[in-house]
Amino acid sequence: MFHWLEKNPFFFAVGVFVTIAFAGLIEIVPNFAQASRPTIGTAPYSTLELAGRHAYIKNSCNACHSQLIRPFKSETDRYGHYSLSGEYAYDRPFLWGSKRTGPDLMRVGNYRTTEWHENHMMNPSALVPSSIMPGYKWMFTTMVDVDTVLAEQITIANAFGVPYNKAVPMKDGSSRIVKMGSTLEEANNLALEEARAIVKDMKNQDVKDAVANGKIPEIVALIAYLNSLK
Amino acid sequence: MNKLYLWGIIVTVAMLGATYVTVGYQKGGLNGDIVNMLAIAGAVALVIITIFVVIKYVRQMQTDTADGELADESWDNIGEYKNDLPIGWSIMFLGTMVWGMWYFTVGYPVNAYSQIGEYNEDSAVLDAKFEKEHASITGDRLVEMGESVFLAECIVCHGINADGIDGQSANLNQRLELKVVKNVIENGSNEHLLGMEMPMPDRNGLMNANNDYAPITDAEIDAVATYVANGMTGAGADVFAGTCVMCHGADGKGVDGMGPNIREFTPTLVTNVLNHGKKGVIGRMPAFDRLNAKQKEAVGAYINSLSK
Repeated sequence: MFHWLEKNPFFFAVGVFVTIAFAGLIEIVPNFAQASRPTIGTAPYSTLELAGRHAYIKNSCNACHSQLIRPFKSETDRYGHYSLSGEYAYDRPFLWGSKRTGPDLMRVGNYRTTEWHENHMMNPSALVPSSIMPGYKWMFTTMVDVDTVLAEQITIANAFGVPYNKAVPMKDGSSRIVKMGSTLEEANNLALEEARAIVKDMKNQDVKDAVANGKIPEIVALIAYLNSLK
Repeated sequence: MNKLYLWGIIVTVAMLGATYVTVGYQKGGLNGDIVNMLAIAGAVALVIITIFVVIKYVRQMQTDTADGELADESWDNIGEYKNDLPIGWSIMFLGTMVWGMWYFTVGYPVNAYSQIGEYNEDSAVLDAKFEKEHASITGDRLVEMGESVFLAECIVCHGINADGIDGQSANLNQRLELKVVKNVIENGSNEHLLGMEMPMPDRNGLMNANNDYAPITDAEIDAVATYVANGMTGAGADVFAGTCVMCHGADGKGVDGMGPNIREFTPTLVTNVLNHGKKGVIGRMPAFDRLNAKQKEAVGAYINSLSK
């Protein structure tokens, strides 16, 4: 029946390729698609959190801090549950990092607070004497760029279907809606609203004044981002 | 004698001789070790079998001729006989199919390697080991264990000396700081430090029994707060006796289900704070529920030892 195929090495090779490729696809693709879907409880970054993520990338925090907890007892004891691929569903790009000069930050929101970050970013060695991390004082005076954040939100919502303004399921069975501004003004207001909640716990008067005047220092956005890492 | 056999015997003798010389001149030789002897015996057997099997097939190639019916196909004039499959090969072929079905349905799914599976096994082993080593730990050793956990987890906020790093977090060398006591009396507290007790009312709900149950005054707040912050010494004992004793006990060590111990840290209190975190006048402390029960108890014992 396949005599003609055996006599045609080219078509035979094509047939072998198609068969193996098909087998590979049905084995790999469904599993991959399932694993990379967002886990329950993973929500898109809000406006201020995304601004903080930009500050995080801009200051190369990922050069020293990883965001990937491996399934080893020693790591889960220190940092919490090991990372799942679906938890990175809204990370573009992901910030796994490849070297831990400082500790992992995948779930830092579970065990550090706004107050702690504020003190620590100003002068890390005051809190952790052995720390070699430098202070990031300029973050208290540099303001965030909400335009870029909104541009990114619109892009990922349209291109990748990131569910902004849609209900996202949470672990306790409830759902959460992460809002995205439809205009720049609206985005600014959303970010300010979040920033006001953060600065309530902060002590630096300049930062408080800036937020009261409608501006958002990078430190506030960064803290919002770090607190969202859970 | 066939020339081939002669060569076979010569090669065999040469290889056996080489083996004998190599082993004999090694330090200790066979050393009377059964494993060494078995290895050498195996090597000798392999040499002899290999050489005579090779001779058999070389002779067969020299004399054998092929027979049987040729198949229609020929590839570049290389033909194929329509012979039956060798019986051993057929059995292996069918056996492989049966094994394949077993492997597909049972073998792989049940025995497959999983990274998470390995993690779970590792964790179970380490947890069991921890449990065994630390189950009956008490007294000074519990305090030492608490110190090691404290140094790993708590010093980033409370400092190496547990002094709270200039007011950035609670000073654990004393049970309560003045501003904390004052804040709680003014505003009440809903920290559930015992787990499920009634919330503490704010100043409007605190009456002084020694003063005809009148609401507590500013002067009284100052006095009793100083008294509590100083570890139940100095002035203010009368206000404490009139106002706080009902829930916190005459000695300040708390009443079950009513009010927590405000004289010293206890493991229950520390465990509850570690489980739920707390928010007070200093700021918010996050929960540290990833510590296990024994570690929390040990931290409690260590913190208790600090304030003594």
